Amino acid sequence: MDAPPSRKAQTARLGRSDRSALGKWFWEIDRVLLMLVVVLISIGLIAVAAASPAASQRYSGGAVSFAPLHYFYRQLVWIIVAFPVMIGVSMLPKTVARRLCLIGAGIFTFFLFLVPIIGQEVNGARRWIGVGFTQFQPSEFLKPMFIVSMAWLLSLRDQDKSLPVVPLSALMLGIVALLLMRQPNFGETIIFGAAWVILLTLSGVPMRFLIGLGAAGIIAIVLAYLFYPVATTRIDAFLFADAGNHDTYQTDSALRTLTAGGLFGTGPGGGTRKFHLPEPHTDYIFSVIGEEFGLIACIAIAAIYMTIVARVLIKLLHEEDTFLLLATAGLVTQFGLQALINMAVNVQIAPSKGMTLPFISYGGSSMLALSIGFGLLLAFTRRNPYLHRSPYVVRGK
Amino acid sequence: MTAIAIERQGVSLPGQRQQTLSLTYHRLMLMMLVFAGVTTLIVARILYLSVFSDRADTGAVGNPLLPARGDIIDRNGVPLARTIDAWSIAVHPKKLLGDPAELAVKLNELMPEKSAAEYLSLLKSDKTFVYLSRRAMPELVAAVNALGEPGIAFDREPERLYPNLELAAHVVGYTDLDGKGAAGIERAFDKQMSDPATRGEPIQLSIDARVQQALEAELLAAMHKFSAIGAAGVIMDVKTGEVLAMSSLPELNPNVPGKGSMDARFNRITLGVYELGSTFKPFTVAMAMDAGVVKSLGQMYNCSSGLRAGGFTITDTHPFNRACSVSEIMQESSNIGTAQIAAQLGAERQKEFLKKMGFLDRVEIELMERGRTLTPGNDWGEVATMTVGYGHGIAVTPLHLASGYAALFNGGIWHPATLLKTGKNRPVPAGRRVFSEDTSYKMRALLRLVVTHGTGKKADAPGYRIGGKTGTAEKIVGGRYTGASVVTTFAGVFPMDEPRYVVVAMLDDPKSTAETYGFHTAGWNVAPVISKVVSRVGPMLGVQPSTSRDANLAEVLPFIRGD
Repeated sequence: MDAPPSRKAQTARLGRSDRSALGKWFWEIDRVLLMLVVVLISIGLIAVAAASPAASQRYSGGAVSFAPLHYFYRQLVWIIVAFPVMIGVSMLPKTVARRLCLIGAGIFTFFLFLVPIIGQEVNGARRWIGVGFTQFQPSEFLKPMFIVSMAWLLSLRDQDKSLPVVPLSALMLGIVALLLMRQPNFGETIIFGAAWVILLTLSGVPMRFLIGLGAAGIIAIVLAYLFYPVATTRIDAFLFADAGNHDTYQTDSALRTLTAGGLFGTGPGGGTRKFHLPEPHTDYIFSVIGEEFGLIACIAIAAIYMTIVARVLIKLLHEEDTFLLLATAGLVTQFGLQALINMAVNVQIAPSKGMTLPFISYGGSSMLALSIGFGLLLAFTRRNPYLHRSPYVVRGK
Repeated sequence: MTAIAIERQGVSLPGQRQQTLSLTYHRLMLMMLVFAGVTTLIVARILYLSVFSDRADTGAVGNPLLPARGDIIDRNGVPLARTIDAWSIAVHPKKLLGDPAELAVKLNELMPEKSAAEYLSLLKSDKTFVYLSRRAMPELVAAVNALGEPGIAFDREPERLYPNLELAAHVVGYTDLDGKGAAGIERAFDKQMSDPATRGEPIQLSIDARVQQALEAELLAAMHKFSAIGAAGVIMDVKTGEVLAMSSLPELNPNVPGKGSMDARFNRITLGVYELGSTFKPFTVAMAMDAGVVKSLGQMYNCSSGLRAGGFTITDTHPFNRACSVSEIMQESSNIGTAQIAAQLGAERQKEFLKKMGFLDRVEIELMERGRTLTPGNDWGEVATMTVGYGHGIAVTPLHLASGYAALFNGGIWHPATLLKTGKNRPVPAGRRVFSEDTSYKMRALLRLVVTHGTGKKADAPGYRIGGKTGTAEKIVGGRYTGASVVTTFAGVFPMDEPRYVVVAMLDDPKSTAETYGFHTAGWNVAPVISKVVSRVGPMLGVQPSTSRDANLAEVLPFIRGD
C-alpha cells in the first residue's frame, strides 16, 4: 500500500489549507483595511516629501541646518520601524493584546506623571520625554491603550451589573485629562474625552445620561474658554478672525496654501505657499497636499479616512463580544476623529487645535504609536472568514 | 452597499443582552452617519473653496479657468490686453528676525529706488505690512528671497500685460496699480472685466490689429518727417460705425503709463477738439443740396474777390477771381464760395444738420475720454454760419469728422461710432437719416474730383479710388490765429464707387520741408499719409484695387473750367 501523501506537500503557502500562524493571520486579517492603511502611509510619505523642504527651511537657522529632505528620510526610517510593529501587533491573540494594553496603559500613565518633571519644553508646552536619539509624547502611546482598557472596563458590566464601571472610567479619564491640561495639551484632552464619550455611548448608557454629559461638555468648554488661556486664544482667533485683533496669519496662510493649487495642484515640488506655513509637515500637511496635488487629492484623502471608519463600523454589526465591539469602535473613531479635526482645521471650519493627520503627517515616534493603535485595530477585527456571514448584506438575484 | 437595518437572524441571546446589543448597533450606525456627515461637510467646503475662493490674491490661481480680469482682443482674436501672475515683495516689520540695519543695506543694493535709510525707517516702523516692490521680476524675487529673512513675504498678484506695447494704446487704455481701469476700454468696461460673472468672456473690439499697425506706422513716419508735435488717425466702417483703427500720437506704452507724458496719454481722436477747416466744406455743400439751396453741382457763385463778412474779409489760397461752379469750389477748396453757400443755407438749417450729425454734443463712443465740442453758441449769426461752413469757429474731435463722413457716404445715415465688433451678438445700432440717398450719391464724384484734379492729389492710391477733402486750420495761439502753426487734416473715403471705409488723418503743427516747397498745408503733408495707409490696409480689408471702376466723374467734370 502506498503511504498517503504528506500533509505538508498538500498545503500551498498561504493557501486556505495553510494552518501555520502566518497562514491563519493572512486569512483572518481584514486585508482591505490593511491595504487602506498602506495606501495612507504611502500618501503620507509623498506628502512629507513635499512638505519636508518647507519644514527644513523653517527649522533651520543659526547653527542648525536641515537638508531639504531631512524630514522625509526620518519619516522613512520611522515607517521601516513602525510598519513591522503594526503587523506584529495585529498578529497578537486578542486576549494577549488586551492584557498588554492594560499593562501599557499603566506604564504610559506613569510616564505622563513624569512629563512635568523630566519633560522637554517645545513651543511653550511640556509634552515630550527625551530618550537619547529621539523623544516621544507618552499621551500618543497612551491613547490606544487607554481606549482598550476603557473598553475592557466597560465590558465588565456584562459579567457583573453591580460594578461601578462608569464612575471608575470617569475617574481614569479625569486623571489623564488633568495631566494633559497641565502640559498644556488642549487637543489631546478633547480626543481622550471624545473617545470616552463614544465608548460610553456604545456601551448602552441611557440617552439622558449622554445629554447630561453633552451639557457638561459645553460647560467645560465655556469654562476652558474663560479660565484656560490656550483655549481662550484659539477660540477667539477662530470666532473673531475678522475683528483683526487676533493674529490669523497662520490659519489664513494655511487656507491660501490649500487653495493655491486649484483642483489639480501645482505638481510635486511646485508649491511656493507652503514655505510660509507654520508646521507644514505636521498640522498643516493637508494644505501642502492641496497646493501641490490639488483639491481633488484632498477629497480623495478624506474619502480614504471615511472608508476606513465606515468599513470597521459596518463590520462591527456582526460582532457580539462587548469588549471587542467597544475596543474596535473606540480605536477607529479616535483615529477618524483625529483625521476629521485636522482636515476641518485646514479648511477653516474648526479652530486651530495642533492635531496631526494620522499616518500622513510627519510623526517620528507618533508614527510608532499610531502603528500600535492600528495594529490593535487589525488584531481585533481579525476573524475567521467562514465563521460568520453578515446578515446585513443585501440579498439579491 | 450594506443595508443599515437592525435585523438579526438566528441569534438567540438572553433578552436583556440582545436589547443592549441592538442599541449598540443603532448607535454605531448613528456614529457612522455623523462621520459621513462631517466628511461630506469637509468635502463640500473643499469644493466651495475650489470654485468660490475669489480673493484678490488667489483668484487667478484658485480657479484656473477664470482670469483675474477679462481679456481684451481685437476683431480677429489677437490679444490686446491680458492678465498674468506677477510677484509682489512685502515686509512684516514686526516679524523680522534679522538685524534691520543690515537688511536695509542689502535691500538698497537689490532695489536702489529707495535709500538704505528709507528702508531702515520702513523696517523699524509700527506697520504690520508694507510693500517693498510690486510687479517684481522673478530674478529680484529670488535675490530678495535669498536674503533669508522670514519677515519678508512674497505674493503672487495679477498683472495687466499689453503684449503689443503701443498698439492701439489709447483705445485699450491702461489700469492703475490696483488693477482698476484708468483709461480707454479698461476704464469704460472696468466693471464687466472685473465682475466674476462676466470677466470669463473677453471683450472683442472692432479694432483690427493689422489695420491699426499700418495706420500707426504711417502716422508716426509723417509726424517725424514733418516735425509735428502730434498726429492722429481713425479708420471707420461707413455702414456700421465700427472703428477699425484709432491712433493718437505721441505714442504711449500702456504697460508703463506713468512714464508717458500728459500729451502722450491724451487721446486726440476722442478727447482733442480741433477746428478742422476745409474738411467741413463737403458737409456744407451736402446740406445745401439736401435743403434745395444747391440744385446742381454746376450752380455758380461769385468768387471774383474777397468776401466782406462782419469785420473781416474771407479770402482764398487759390483765388479764382471769377465766378465758379460748386464743383470748382470743392476742387480748389474755396472759402469764398463755401461761405456764400452756407449763408444761403442759413444758421438754423446748418445747426439742425450739425445737431443731427452729433457735432454739437460729445462724440458718441464707448470710451469715457470724450471732448466737449466748441461752437459759436449764442453768437450763431450770419458770419458764424459762413465760417462754420468752411470749418472755422467750430471745434470737434476727429472722430466726429469720421462719423460725419461715414454718414455722408453710406447713403446718408448717421451711426454712433463703436469700438465693439458688431455681428451676431451685437447688431449695428440703429442710425438716423441726415442726408438723402441722392445727396450722398452725388458727393462721391465731388470728393473723388478733389483727389483726381484738386488739392488732394497726393492722397491717391492707385486702384483704390480714394476721395476726400483736405483741411488746413490755423491754430489759435494766445487767443488769435497765426499763420505759423496749423492743424492739417485729410478726411478720405474709399473706394469711391461703393464707399466702405472712412480714413481720417491729422497732423498737429507740421513744419514745411524742402520737399513741400515751403508749404505746410494738408495737401502736402497729410494727404500722402492717406495714400500710404490705404495702399497698406486696402488688401487687409478686402478692397479689390481696380483701374476700370471709379466714381462717375462725368457728373462733375463738365462744370470744371480749365484755365
